[in-house]
Parts: sequence; C-alpha cells; structure tokens
Amino acid sequence: MTAQPTDDVAVALRGVRFSYGNGATWALDGVDLTVQAGERVYIVGPNGSGKSTLSRIVAGLAAPDAGTVTVLGERVFDGDAGPDPDAYRRARRGIGAVFQNPEDQLVTTVVEDDVAFGPENLGIAHDDIGRRIAEALQAVDMTESRAADPTVMSGGQQQRIAIAGTMAMHPAMVVFDEPTAMLDGAARAEVMAVLDSLQARGVTIVHITHHADETLRADRVIRMESGRIVSEGRPRRDDAARAASADQPHPPADGGDEPQPDSEPIIDVEHVFFTYPGQTSPVIDDLSLNIARGETVALMGHNGAGKTTLARLLCALERPDDGSITVAGVPVALARGGRRTTARERRSGTAGTGHVRKPRMASRTQRRALRRHVGYVMQHPERQLFADTVAQDVAYGPRNQGLPEAAVREHVEWALQLLRIGHLADRSPFALSGGQQRLAAIAGVLACRPDVLIMDEPTAGLDARASARIHDLVRTLRAQGVTVLVITHSAAEAAAIGARIITMGQPPHTQSARTGAEGSGPLGTLDPRVKMVTFLVLMFTAFAISNAWQLGLAAALTAGIIAVGRLNPLRLLTAVRLILGMLVVVGLLNLFFARGGDVLAAWGPLTITTGGVQTAALYTLRFALVIVLGAVMMATTTPTALTDAIGSLLSPLRRFGVHTQEIALVLSLALRFLPTLAREAHAVIDAQSARGGDIETGSPAKRLRALTAIVVPVFAGTLRHADNLALALDARCYEEGAHRTHWRRMRVRRRDLLFVTVAMLYLFALMALQMP
Amino acid sequence: MSVSSHTDTHSTSVPSASSASTHATGVADSGRWSTRRIAVYALFVALSMAVSFIEFPLIPGVPWLKYDPSGIVCLVAGFAYGPAAAVLVSVLGFVPHVFADPWGSLMAIAVALAMSVPAALVYRRLRTRRGALIGIIAGAVVALVVAIIGNLLVTPIYADMTVEQVAAMIVPALLPFNLAKLAVHGVVTFLIYKPISNLLNR
Repeated sequence: MTAQPTDDVAVALRGVRFSYGNGATWALDGVDLTVQAGERVYIVGPNGSGKSTLSRIVAGLAAPDAGTVTVLGERVFDGDAGPDPDAYRRARRGIGAVFQNPEDQLVTTVVEDDVAFGPENLGIAHDDIGRRIAEALQAVDMTESRAADPTVMSGGQQQRIAIAGTMAMHPAMVVFDEPTAMLDGAARAEVMAVLDSLQARGVTIVHITHHADETLRADRVIRMESGRIVSEGRPRRDDAARAASADQPHPPADGGDEPQPDSEPIIDVEHVFFTYPGQTSPVIDDLSLNIARGETVALMGHNGAGKTTLARLLCALERPDDGSITVAGVPVALARGGRRTTARERRSGTAGTGHVRKPRMASRTQRRALRRHVGYVMQHPERQLFADTVAQDVAYGPRNQGLPEAAVREHVEWALQLLRIGHLADRSPFALSGGQQRLAAIAGVLACRPDVLIMDEPTAGLDARASARIHDLVRTLRAQGVTVLVITHSAAEAAAIGARIITMGQPPHTQSARTGAEGSGPLGTLDPRVKMVTFLVLMFTAFAISNAWQLGLAAALTAGIIAVGRLNPLRLLTAVRLILGMLVVVGLLNLFFARGGDVLAAWGPLTITTGGVQTAALYTLRFALVIVLGAVMMATTTPTALTDAIGSLLSPLRRFGVHTQEIALVLSLALRFLPTLAREAHAVIDAQSARGGDIETGSPAKRLRALTAIVVPVFAGTLRHADNLALALDARCYEEGAHRTHWRRMRVRRRDLLFVTVAMLYLFALMALQMP
Repeated sequence: MSVSSHTDTHSTSVPSASSASTHATGVADSGRWSTRRIAVYALFVALSMAVSFIEFPLIPGVPWLKYDPSGIVCLVAGFAYGPAAAVLVSVLGFVPHVFADPWGSLMAIAVALAMSVPAALVYRRLRTRRGALIGIIAGAVVALVVAIIGNLLVTPIYADMTVEQVAAMIVPALLPFNLAKLAVHGVVTFLIYKPISNLLNR
C-alpha cells in the first residue's frame, strides 16, 4: 500500500463539539477546520485550549459529541448517525499519530520489531515489512540502530523511532501532538528535520506545538483558545523569529548578579566525580562549584550532561565516587582524605580499584536536617501527587517535619498563596489541569520552607502563562533570600529569572547503539518455542537429581550449553544475583534438617552431620544449576521472542475462547514497560523521602501514610502510561481479531531438532544414573 | 474504619476510555479486548513485575522470609477490572521469576490467585467498602491454606525434608510469616483502593 490521497481534502470538520464532562464544559465548541492534502498545518494555543482533543479527532482516535468529521475521504462521524466504526477503521489505516511522550509509544525492546508493529497490524506481507523497516529507519537516520533497544535511547532518538514506526505504515497524513515538548534543542532539531522530509514526500501534516519558532515551516497556523479557533493564517515570521532568538543563549539581563564576595557559599561542591553503575565514563568528572546564599542560578547543558545527577547528589540521593559536597552547612558527602585520584585515572578506570574509598555520606540525622533546608522539585513533580485534596498533599512535608497542626496549616496557606492557587486547596489534585498540578506539586515542596530550592526543568511542557508564573515565583523567593537552582534548557528562562548561568558537561559523545547481543549467537537463533519448553524440562527435571553422578552430568550439560552459546559466565552470575540468597537458605535448611552419618557439630537442638553436609551440597548445587539454566535461557532470548513463543504455545487454547494473541501482547508490553515503571517507582520514593516521607522508621500510622504517598502516585503513573499506550496502539492500527502478519517468523529447523535430541539423551542418561 | 456502606458508583468491570461519555470510535466493539483494556492489563502486569523485585524482610531477624508487594497489585487489578484481570496479573506477573525459581514461582502464582480471585469475585457482587473488606478476608483465608499446602509440597523439593518435618514448621514459621504477609497486602489494599478507584473513574 502506498500513500493515496483519496481527495484533495484530507480533513473536514464541521461544527465539532467535544465535552469531557457530559456537556458541562466544552473542550471543543464548534470547530470548523479544513486541511488540504499535502498541507502542513500547525495548531497553537494555551494549555487547555482544546488542541490535543482536536488532534485526536483529526487522527480518528476519538469521536466528538456533535458535528461531522470527514478524514481521508471517509465520513467517520455524523452528528445524527454517530460514529461509523468501519469508516474509522478504513481512515485510520491511512493516518499516523505521534504523541508527546516518546517512551509510551514504543511497544517492544528491539527497534526493528517496533517499526514492524504497525505494518504487521495492517497485514502487510513479510517481505514488504522488511523493505518498509529499512526505508523508514533510513528516513529518520536510524539505520544503524536497527537491532538496538529503543527504551534506553535519548528522547529525540525515541521520537524518531516512533515516527519511523508511523512512516512504515505509509500514511497519507500524520498528526503530531507536541512531539518536541520533552526534547532539548538538539533533539528538537532532529525531529523537525524528519518532519521536513515527510512534508517533501507529500504527506499531510497536522502539528500541535508550543514552540512558536517551529511554526515557521507551516503552510498555515491555526490558533485555538477555549475550544474555538480564534485565528488562522500564514505563520507570523516576526513572532516566530522573536521566539527563536529568545532561545539562543545570550548573557543574562541586569538581574544576573555575581555572588556577593562576603557571603559564604550555601552550596559547595569540591572535585566531585560520579559514574553510573555499569557505565565506563563518569557523567560528572571533577566538578567544583560554589553557590552563594540567596543566589539564583540556572544550571544549563545538553541532555546527559549530568545536571539532574548533580541535583540528586546535592540532595544526598546519590553517592559520589569522590569529592566533597556541603549544602546549607550539612556535609552531604565528605572525601576521605588520602591521595586524590586524577581525572585521567578515573577515566581510564584504574582508580576505584580498592585504594580509593568513596566519600563518607551524611548520617541519617544529617540527612533529616538536609531535608529541612533543601527543597527538591524533580522533573514532572505533578507525578508525585497523591492526597485527596491539594491542601492535604501540600501538608505532607510539614507534617513529616513533626510541626504542630497550626503551623502545618500556616505553612500550607503560605505555599498556596505564593503560587496563587489558594482557590484550589480543596480540589482533588487529580482533577486539575496539567499546569495547575505542576503548581500544586511545587507548593508541596515549598511548604517545607526550604532555604535552598532545586527545580529540575520546572516549566517543561507548560505554556507561556504558566511558565511566567513559575518565573514570578523564583523572583519572589529570591526577594525572600531563598537560594534557587533551576535546571533549564532555555537561555530565555535563565534571563527571565535573572540567574547566573552555570553550564555543565562536555560536548555530547554520540551514544553508541547498543545492539541486542542477546538475540545473536547460536542459542539466540533457536526456535524460541522449542528452546523455552526444552529449558523448562531441563530445569524441572534437575530437581530429581539425587546423586553425585547425576549432578556431574547435569553440570557438564550446563557447561556445554554455556560454551556453545559463547556466553560470559560472569555476566550470567550478575544476572542471577537476586536469587542467590535463596541458595543460602536452601543450603542452611538442608544443613540443619538432613540427618545421617557422623555428627560433626551440635548446638542444643541443632546438629550438623556428614549426611547433612552432603545433602546440603547436593540440593544447593542442583538448585544452582536450575538458576543458571534459567539465566542462560533469559540471556539468549529477547522479550519479543519469549512472548511470541508463549503466544504460539497458548494458541490451541483459542478455540476455548481464550484471547491468546492478546495475552501474548499484554506480556510483551508488560516486559517492555517493566523498567519504566521500576524507574518511576524509585523516582516517587526519592521525591517523597525528600519531603520527609520514610517507610522504614516512625510509628505504624506514619509508615502507612508514607507507603500510601508512594503507592498512589505509582498507580496513577501506571494508569497514565496505560492511557498513552492505548492511544499508541490505536494509532498503530492494532485491533483484536483483525488479520495480522508477523515479521518474526518461528520455524523449527535442524539445529532445534539437534538441541532436543541432546536434551533427550541427557534425560535418558539421568534416568540410567538414578540409584534404586 | 467507617462501617457506613459507602457505595461505589464505579460499576464497569471493563476499563473504558472515559466513564462519562465514551467518545469511542466504535472500532473496539463489545466482546473484544479493546486497546485500552490491553494497555491497562499490560501496565498492571508490568507494575506487578516491577514491585516483585522490591523485596524487604518482613519479620525482624528472619531476613530470608521476604515480603514482596506484588500481591497488592493483583488485588487492586481484581477490584478494578474483575476476576479475569486478577488471574492475568497473578499469572503473567511471575513469568520473569519462572526461569529463576520454577517451583517457587508456581507456588507464588497459586497464592496470588488464591488471594486475588476470591476477593475480586466477592467485590464484584458487593461493590462497597464492606464488600472489599469481606473479599480481602476471604481471599486471605484461601491464600493462607494454599500457601501452607504449597509449602508442604514444594519445600521437600528444595530441602531433604519429609512432609511431616515441613508440617512441624507450620505453626512456628509458615503460619506467622504468611499471616503477616497477607495482612500487609490486605491492609494496604484496603487503604489505597479508594484513592485509586478515584483515578480509575476519572
């Protein structure tokens, strides 16, 4: 299928109305819009003006309450007749949609599988899918990342993969809903270049954005306010140019004051190094800086320069490899004297091999003091909201400080007033708009009355008005003597808050695409169904091993499998470290319970016998073999292959009405989102602990409250991802029961039969060695 | 706790795009799994997997008896989306563990099912705070029985012990640990379900 313009008109909306509250308020209130085929239309307007809702209607992902909708020549919605599912289905096959959050649009952990997902849903033939993957990846300049894992890529790269996944469906029109909102300048430019090439191919583009400079490329700009189109026309070059120049770095305005020479620093960072576990080069490499009391500082630098890491170090949420950090008089980290390692030693990895001790971290009491002085507003702080009302949420921090109820109330009122959201005090934080949620979450940090406030991209995704309010806040806090550290990508923002600019990081080193080493190698090419069943048989039968001969045989087989698979035994060991505790338990249990032979030692009722030692060794070793076999299986099978195999093995159940294909998809999506949710859960835990919430100490009631403050936002995040993912699945034309093709084909080949034969021979030998 | 039976207005057992007006395009017909349903199930399974790796000791001094909070996710899934969701989350949530500890995972799946499915069945009939409480207690009782039977069967595979020897451990070890674990599941779920159901109904 190729892009076929069915008409000259791509989109025609007439009198479209849309309400989220059954007609109480209208998100869209009588919208008429026509988009010509091949046109590039931009939709702009403040938060809550109805842009996103409009984009969903244009993309055929949601039906309005009234009006008529025609997309790609299909009359999909008619006020009188309602939605026409078949027309929607046909129209959607020609429409792509790309959303704000790139991560939520990725459905697998291998780039090519992700790009193949849409074509599979359209029932495209296998060989055509291969061609389309190559073509689409070339168009977004990601050909080399074909086998890489998109979930560990930068936001810009992820967004390009998402666009490739859309392009592989050969859409006639693509709807973009703020695709650059989460990206820094360089990544934005990457995505915009891809859009230009789409336009050159004649694809109709409907693009929603906050960035005025992006509209320069538009054929037409449509401005929305309160659910209506208020103006439309050619892009206003002066507006766009001004916005573009405001994003260029320039020296801060008059407010950019130097630190007072006489004031002692409130933040003191001395020769700090930090490397993330598993990475070779430090993200923070010999950093020293001073921030004076009362200063306002903008921390700038490209993505990955270590800005957020520095914020976490200042809040004692990470431990530096070396160096000292003092914040508000609290020794957050203290280098332990001795010889200081040089930057070169650090980089080459010769340091940290034993002769350098990590800095001493603040004690629990000191950390508590730190929490009273330092407020930390993480990225997207609204994701930490949890309470029934805004006021209760804001009160969480002061209450954890153990303040009397009157003082808590006073702090809450002060914070709400400062952000001018007093009127929202009794509303549920989850019923607020995105901008209001951001302000409420910031109030929750400010209510702890910090002397130092660290804010990580506080205006990301906000419109001009909401951003201005946060800039006001920073100026007010400065007048009150609060030290403010703002992480930002925008030089205009740094100027607006009159900040001294500190730029971090070296030029970005291009991230090498991690190829899926897992899927390769002899074991990776086995049919996953055969492999999975065989490994499970080997694992379950290993529990029947009852003598040293059998143990030796099983060990030989396992070693052989590792050798054939050319796996690194050390890497396997790190993969199984979580389960090693179980081994110790199994060993101890056997040591004390098994009897026989001579008594070696006895303490009261506990005796250890030679028989017990033998049994302990046997049971522990056979369990260890089971664990290693499982680790080999997981290390050589991609999540996609695993879920394909499970789906295929379950498929006979389909005749009993079991949704096997969907269960397999659920599992594959779950494995894809597992690291995302784990990361977010840790972020929520950190954020709440920065507000004094702690599950491990305090009265049961306090601990339970702390747990609720973590669990509720985690569930809220889970549901938010689910909403986004459902839209992404719709946009990629996934539909249950519809005919799908498969890019990955499973075929039982000679090597699979060989593998099964070896396993069978092993099982026979195991039985032969069974002692009577 | 308040005993007044506060009625939960949320009655859909299938996740819908929006509780007020669906704005559905009709592409996901009834009787099928909508993309929203697939997405919600997938994210609950992912959450259950994610928290199953966050283990912490439950009883001081007995470090190897770990509590993992994934049972809470199974319970919430069952309350929010019905018994089928409870089954799916309980089973698929342990898939990553099957290849590390096969028998232990099978037992964990059985216990998760025994807790979340009865609770979901009761709550489907009685969608009140009282229904939730009865459901949780019923689930906990069934799960306790399954956990003890499971230990009787599985422990001899890991240790050279007879069923009688394991049975001797029921009162001093198995019962208190499982009771404590199920109690934490139940109490936390009971306390957080109300705020979470508000999120579901948005």
